Amino acid sequence: MATEPENLEQLVNRRYKHGFVTDIASEGLPPGLDEDVVRAISAIKQEPEFLLEWRLRAYRLWREMAEPDWAHVHYPKIDYDAISYYSAPKSDKDRPKSLDEVDPKLLETYDKLGIPLHERAKLAGVAVDAVFDSVSVATTFKKKLADAGVIFCSFSEAVREHPELVRKYLGSVVPQRDNFFAALNSAVFSDGSFVYIPKGVRCPMELSTYFRINAANTGQFERTLIVADEGSHVSYLEGCTAPMRDENQLHAAVVELVALKDAEIKYSTVQNWYPGDEEGRGGIYNFVTKRGDCRGANSKISWTQVETGSAITWKYPSCILRGDNSVGEFYSVAVANNYQQADTGTKMIHIGRNTRSTIVSKGISAGKAQNAYRGLVRVMPQAEGARNHTQCDSLLIGKECGAHTFPYMEIRNPTAKVEHEATTSKISADQLFYCRQRGIAEEDAVNMIVNGFCKEVFNELPMEFAVEAQALLNVSLEGAVG
Amino acid sequence: MMHELPVDRLAETAAALPHASLAGLREAGRTVLARQGFPTTKVEDWKYTDLGGVAALSRAWLAAGAPVDEPDTELVRRAQAGLDAHWIVIANGSVLEAFSDALALPGIGVATDASEFPKPHGALGGLNAALVRDPVRIRVSESLTKPLALLVADSATASAVTAQVRVNLAVDRGAAVQVFEHQVSSGDEGHYSNVLVELDLAADSRCDYVRLQQRATAHSQTARLDVRLDRDARFDYFGADLGGRLARHDLAVDIAGRGASATLNGVYVAGPGQHVDNHTRTDHRVGPATSRQEYRGVLAGRARAVWNGKAIVHAGADGTDAEQANHNLLLTEQAEVDAKPELEIYADDVKCAHGTTVGHLDERALYYLRTRGIGRQRARRILTRAFAATVVDSAPIAGLRETIGDAVEARLRDIMAEIGA
Repeated sequence: MATEPENLEQLVNRRYKHGFVTDIASEGLPPGLDEDVVRAISAIKQEPEFLLEWRLRAYRLWREMAEPDWAHVHYPKIDYDAISYYSAPKSDKDRPKSLDEVDPKLLETYDKLGIPLHERAKLAGVAVDAVFDSVSVATTFKKKLADAGVIFCSFSEAVREHPELVRKYLGSVVPQRDNFFAALNSAVFSDGSFVYIPKGVRCPMELSTYFRINAANTGQFERTLIVADEGSHVSYLEGCTAPMRDENQLHAAVVELVALKDAEIKYSTVQNWYPGDEEGRGGIYNFVTKRGDCRGANSKISWTQVETGSAITWKYPSCILRGDNSVGEFYSVAVANNYQQADTGTKMIHIGRNTRSTIVSKGISAGKAQNAYRGLVRVMPQAEGARNHTQCDSLLIGKECGAHTFPYMEIRNPTAKVEHEATTSKISADQLFYCRQRGIAEEDAVNMIVNGFCKEVFNELPMEFAVEAQALLNVSLEGAVG
Repeated sequence: MMHELPVDRLAETAAALPHASLAGLREAGRTVLARQGFPTTKVEDWKYTDLGGVAALSRAWLAAGAPVDEPDTELVRRAQAGLDAHWIVIANGSVLEAFSDALALPGIGVATDASEFPKPHGALGGLNAALVRDPVRIRVSESLTKPLALLVADSATASAVTAQVRVNLAVDRGAAVQVFEHQVSSGDEGHYSNVLVELDLAADSRCDYVRLQQRATAHSQTARLDVRLDRDARFDYFGADLGGRLARHDLAVDIAGRGASATLNGVYVAGPGQHVDNHTRTDHRVGPATSRQEYRGVLAGRARAVWNGKAIVHAGADGTDAEQANHNLLLTEQAEVDAKPELEIYADDVKCAHGTTVGHLDERALYYLRTRGIGRQRARRILTRAFAATVVDSAPIAGLRETIGDAVEARLRDIMAEIGA
C-alpha cells in the first residue's frame, strides 16, 4: 500500500537466501528401488543381519501399500523408480576423526548456512550431530555427553556400537507397516540420529542436529530414535535448510521417541527447506512420520515445530499417552507462502489414566498457499480422567490463499474433558493502521503482528531457536503483504 | 468394498411403483446407485457410520418382492393431535391423502413429471430417485398463516420395509413459511427410510424449519436436507434426533446470495444401541453472509454420536461470518462421541470460528443442587435438561418448543431407566 514501490519489488523478488549447491561429488546408488537396492544400502552400512531382515520386511510391506491421498495437498505423482535411494559425501570411507579432518567444503556449506559449528559448540554449549546428505560427518561434545552416560551418535554408529538398544526400540513406536512413507523409510533409511539418556540423567546440554538435502534427485530418508530411560530428561533440536533446486525432492523421515517412567523429551524443529520458487516450481516434498510414546507413568513428550519451508508438508508429530499421568504437548507454527501446501497437525492418543494433552496450532497462509491443520484426539475407554485442550488459529494474508481445519475427536470415556477451539482471521486494517500511525513501516507491522500471533509457540522453543524462528518467519513472509 | 444392491431387482420394483411418468428419474437413480454403491466407512463422509445393516435390509426387502406395510393410522392420529397446522402425511413413501389437508392449498401436490427434478446426487440420492413413490412438490408464493407439517409416519409390522421420501419445497421471493418435519415409526420388523428434502429460498424469503426425529429404536434412517439461499434469504433451523437405531442426517446449506443468513441448531440424545450421526455443510459462496450453528448431544449407555460440521468459505466470499459449536455430554461409560468440526477457507476477509467440547456433568453443580436437598438422580436430570435447553429454546417455531423439550426429557428418562442409572 504505502510502501515504496522499489522496496516492494525488491522484497517480492528476493530469492531463497539459503539456495546454493555444494560442489561435492556424491557417491550414490543408481535410481530405482528393489530388494537389491535395500540389500546394497544395508551392505554399504555394514549392518547386522537383523537390520537387513527388518528393512526387507518393510520393503515388502511398502510394495503392497498405496500412497495416501487424503491430505489436503496436490502434487504430481511421484515416480519412486526415478529416485536414488542412497548418496553420501565422498569422504565417507575414511571418516574424519575430528572437525579438522572434515572436508573443508562441507564446513564451508555450514558457514554459508550461518551455522558456525565449532564456535557454536564452544559458545552455545550445543552438541551438533550434523547430517550432510545421508552420512554423519561430525559429532561434537561427545566426551561431555559420554561422561554423563548419554549416547548421542549417528544412527549407523548406534547400529554398530549399541545394536541391543537399536533392536529393542527401532520400530517400536512407528512400525514398518505404519504408513506408506514410514514403510519406505524403514526399507531405505540412510542415517539419522540416535539418542539414549540413561536412568535418572538430565542431559547436560541441548542436543541438536542439522539436516540438509544436497545431491540432486536424492531422496533423503532419516531415521531418528530417542530413548529417555526412567527419570531422565532431554531437549532435542532439529533444524533444516536446503539448497535451491528446480526438481522436487522427496523427503520421508521417521522420528521415534520413547519416554519411560518419569522421563521427559522435548523435541523442537525449525524446518526451512526449499519451498519452491514464486511460481511453485521445485521445492521439497516433506512426508514425515514423527511419533512419541509416553510408555511409562508420569512421562512427558513435547513437540514444538516451526514449519516455514517445503513445497508440500505432510507431517503429524503425535503422542501416544500410554503411561498413567503422562503428558503430551504439540506447539506448532506453520507458514505457507506462494504455492506452498501444508497439511500438518498432531495426534494425541489417550490410553493411560489422567493423561493430559495440549495442542496449540498457528497456521499462516499467504500468496496462493494452502495450509491445513489436521489433528486427532482419541480418548480410549480406559483413559479415566483424560484431558485435552486444543487451540487452533489461522491467519490469512491475501485473497488467494486457503486455511483449513480438520480436527477429529473420538471420545470413549465419560470422565474425559476435551475442548477444541479454532478461529480464522486476517490481519485487520485497524491493527495495521494503529502500527502505521505509530511510525512503524507496514512490513514491520505485519511481522510484529505475525510474531505476536505465534508467540505462544515461540515461547516453547529453546532460546537459540526462538531467535532463528522469528527471523525465519519474517523471511518466509517477505512480499506477502503489499 | 461396496455395499451393493441388485440393480435388476431395483428395476422390477420401480416398474411396479405408481406414476409411470417418473420412470426416467428412477432409471437415473439406478444408474447413480449402481455406479457408486452404498458408501462404506472407507469414504471420509461415512468414516464413523456403517451402512452395512441398512444395505442388507434393503437387499432382503427387494428379494422379498418389496412389500409395503399398511399405514399405521393410529400413529398418524397421535402425531397430529394438538397441533394446528397444514398437514402432509407420508407413510412408507406414500402420501396419505385422507390426512393431508395441505394438498388442498395452491402449489402443493404429488409431482409426476420426471423433468421437474434435478439429477440424482450421491448414492443415497440415487436410491431415493430409484424407488421414490410419491414425490411431493410444494411452492409457497404467499406466506402461510399456519405451519406446514410434514409428517413421515412409517411402519413395519408384517415384514421389513424400506421407504423413500422426497419433498421439494420452493419459497418465492418475499414469502415466509414455517415447516415442521416430524418423523415417527412403529412396528417390530426392521425399517429403513431414506428422506430427501430440498428447499429453495428465493430472495428476501424466509423459512423457519423444525425437525423432530422420533423413530422406533429398532428402525434406521438416512436423511438429507439441501437448502439454497438467495439474496437476503433467511433460514432458521432446529433439529432434534431422539430415536432410531441408526439415524443419519445431512444438512447442507448453500449460501448463494449476499446478505443471506442461516442458523442451524440441533440436539441429539442417544441411548443403548443407538447411533446418531449429524453432518452439516455450509457453503459460503458469496459474502457478506452469516451462518451460526450449535449442536448439543447427550449420550448414555452403549451409544454413539457423530457430529461433523463443515464450513466452506469459497474464494471471493468476503464478509463471511461463520460460527460452529458442538457440545457433548457423556453421562455414562461405553458412550462414544466422534466429533469433527471442519473449516475450509479460501477468502481472507472472513470471520470463522468453531468450538467443540466433550465432557460430563459438572460435579460441583451436582453438589450444589444436592446441598439444596435435591436427590442425585433429579439433580442430574435438571442439569442435563438445562444443557439441552439452550438449543431447544432456540427452535424457531415458538409453539413447538415445549413439545420438543418434553420429548427430549421423556427420551432421556427412558434411557436412564433402561440403563438403570
